Amino acid sequence: MPDQGRRGRKRGDHVTSRELRPEALPNPHSETPAEPPPPISPPKEFTAMPFASDAARFALSRRQALMGASALVLAPRALRAEPRRGGTLTIVLSSEPTSLVAATTVVTPSLSVSGKVTEGLLQYDFDLNPQPELATEWSVSADGLHYVFKLRPGVKWHDGRDFTSADVAFSLLLLKQVHPRGRSTFANLAEVATPDPLTAELRLSRPAPYLIKALASSETPILPKHIYEGTDAAANPNNAAPIGTGPFLFKEWARGSHVIYERNPNYWDSAKPYLDRLVVRFIPDPAARSAAFETGQADLGYRTPVAMADVERLRRVADLRFETKGNSYSFNVTKLEFNLDNEYFRNPKVRQAIAHTIDRAQIARIAFFGNAEPCASPIAPGLRAFHDPAPSPYGYDLAQAEKLLDEAGFRRGANRIRFRVPLDFNPVLDEGRRVADIVRATLGRIGIAVDVRAQDTGSFVRRVYTERDFAFTVNGLSNLFDPTVGVQRTYWSKNFIRGVPFSNCTNYSNPEVDRLLETAAVENDAARRAELFREFQRIVAVEVPDINICSPTFLTIYNKRAHGHSLTANGIEASLADAYVDA
Amino acid sequence: MAEEKGRPRHRALRAMLRNPSFLVGIAVLIAVVGIALAAPWLYPGDPLDMVAVPTLWPGEDPAYPLGTDSLGRDVAAGLAHGARVSLLVGLSAAAIGLLIGTAVGAVAGYAGGWIDNALVRITELFQTVPTFLLVIVLVSMREPTAVGIALAIGVASWPTVARLVRAEFRGLRSADFVAAAVVSGARPSRIVLRHILPNALAPIVVTTSVMVANAILTEAGLSFLNLGDPNLVSWGTMIGDGRQLLRTAWYLTALPGAAIALTVMAINLAGDGLNDVLNPRSGNQ
Repeated sequence: MPDQGRRGRKRGDHVTSRELRPEALPNPHSETPAEPPPPISPPKEFTAMPFASDAARFALSRRQALMGASALVLAPRALRAEPRRGGTLTIVLSSEPTSLVAATTVVTPSLSVSGKVTEGLLQYDFDLNPQPELATEWSVSADGLHYVFKLRPGVKWHDGRDFTSADVAFSLLLLKQVHPRGRSTFANLAEVATPDPLTAELRLSRPAPYLIKALASSETPILPKHIYEGTDAAANPNNAAPIGTGPFLFKEWARGSHVIYERNPNYWDSAKPYLDRLVVRFIPDPAARSAAFETGQADLGYRTPVAMADVERLRRVADLRFETKGNSYSFNVTKLEFNLDNEYFRNPKVRQAIAHTIDRAQIARIAFFGNAEPCASPIAPGLRAFHDPAPSPYGYDLAQAEKLLDEAGFRRGANRIRFRVPLDFNPVLDEGRRVADIVRATLGRIGIAVDVRAQDTGSFVRRVYTERDFAFTVNGLSNLFDPTVGVQRTYWSKNFIRGVPFSNCTNYSNPEVDRLLETAAVENDAARRAELFREFQRIVAVEVPDINICSPTFLTIYNKRAHGHSLTANGIEASLADAYVDA
Repeated sequence: MAEEKGRPRHRALRAMLRNPSFLVGIAVLIAVVGIALAAPWLYPGDPLDMVAVPTLWPGEDPAYPLGTDSLGRDVAAGLAHGARVSLLVGLSAAAIGLLIGTAVGAVAGYAGGWIDNALVRITELFQTVPTFLLVIVLVSMREPTAVGIALAIGVASWPTVARLVRAEFRGLRSADFVAAAVVSGARPSRIVLRHILPNALAPIVVTTSVMVANAILTEAGLSFLNLGDPNLVSWGTMIGDGRQLLRTAWYLTALPGAAIALTVMAINLAGDGLNDVLNPRSGNQ
């Protein structure tokens, strides 16, 4: 019976998902053409034609060069710097990807490498305004239900096949099924029509205002239909040896060590990529990553690739440069999340009291060594259109906190302790343990004894999201590129689902908040949508189902010989076609 | 000579006093134990509380003679309270290991036969798993607490004692005084506890000192890997926390590191001294 129900839902989903299950399963590799790839470089006037993006990217790279060259002496040289052809760029990651294509996984290292081979329809400037990649033009109808993408002509897959709108339709509908976030991002996607090989039309059942921001290569990779069709996407061998349309050809993946990419001589942007070779190394130990940067073995790393404690020291290394841009496709907010079913934390006064003990500036300065921005809202300051900069209604005031706890009936008892609660911290979080230590110390001062519990990631997720055997946690929330995608999940009462990681673990439920979130999810008017999110932030700030603390500042660290890498919202995760190195 | 033979205890005491390394070991050990006992009076309050500006160097602020760590916690208070945890975990783990090991070894060595065979196989099974890995597995099964860590280290460290005790018991089982006890109708438990065990005590005592030292090191290793009890400051935790700042604030790693080295060395010196005194064949008389 339940089986049937599930099948029923699937069938009812969308008619065109039938395309994903063809009757005959062609062997994708038997048809690979053996002829040498034809010269696909577009004619000169084609590249010279200033696409909106190319102009913008050029301007950005100029600005970038100016900013990077803080030393005045270097400025003139940087200004007239022409991208140099050739050379090898080495990126360092802290862990190894599970897949080289970010189609069925969203683990960070997979996002880091995917776009080098597998491109997206769009890329984004630092403020998340869409720019062309595989799509050259796009339009969204006034009702937000109809999207038209004009695709770039003359693009070939690395195996020589033509890239067409069929690949786009196939990819979007596949990601809707297999991508961890695709289920919700594309939930309203009813159909993808392909009137001609270079046009893809999306029809939505309801507006999805965040969809236009979800089309970067790292979030929505456009996959080769002829390779994935009729296969289990998660198990497809292409995930470990990908072909795509991107500027780099996959060369080798030495497990536990590195991935090597080589220049795609037939890239659609004919002058690019500038690099001959791209090496992605995996170095799990933060001290070893610091050493790799110092010795010049690593050229580039992002999302603060070294221990935060080490940043100040590395700033004094002559060859290293620091960049905050290119980290804006996913902002994080570090927070305390309460279990609202807990005997103490179900009382709003207790939560308010704890909010009064949180000194955001101090935590940002001490726990994060200054590499964080205080943030009292679940929407990170980086999402400028939506973030509410208002301070918490419960400012740092320990006396007020004690008063609230007395009022709540939790007076100081034996050993001057009011009550004792465990605190679990998410072990993957940057500096989560340090935040927990600070919270433990400050709550001790108002008479709340905190036992910090350490555990591995699997145990943490099971404890918080499945067993709900927790009182409060130090946790992080990836905002991603839009609050509907990144923030709604932890406040929406319908997303209180046991066993789903990073869902609504507080069990917060407020019909007005639900209404605001649901309206914002389908609101087409940007200004009205921002206002809905402002209202939402005002309510949760007062009700404190969680306490938002700060937004870590993600730093990109690079050797000064590396250029042209932090040009888009997802900087290092982008294709790196523009990256080049000095000799 | 006659006097020395007549008072073996005095003889042992004098041998100890003649052994400088034993004296140094004991002196350091007494100092560490003293600091551990006095910690709540020397540094009242929670040693994990943030009391001052982060990363004060030793000597920079007279109020915090050994400086503060990256969260602004007093390093001196951490070292004093850490001594409590390290010693307590070390002693209780050694006691647990000793209890299990002696019981298994005594039964195996005295009973012989298939019981001996079975127990030796079990001991070997434990010995094939590296101690530290076994401890990590045991600690990771539940969230780490000081009691759990002591138990895990004890459970992982008993095979050495068991083998030692078994060998001693096998040797003593056929001694004349045991045969006399058997003939006089003593129960096996009485023979084991009253006749054989006291005679096998010397090597056990010496091994115990090594076990305490090893347990302290294992606890430090666990805490270094962030598997320690996060609510207690231990020397290993301090090293683990300080590791991030190794290049800029090395004292955060060096001070607790020195404390561990000093304590473990003191215990080993004392153990060596005991060995010399208790083992008449070591030739240092």
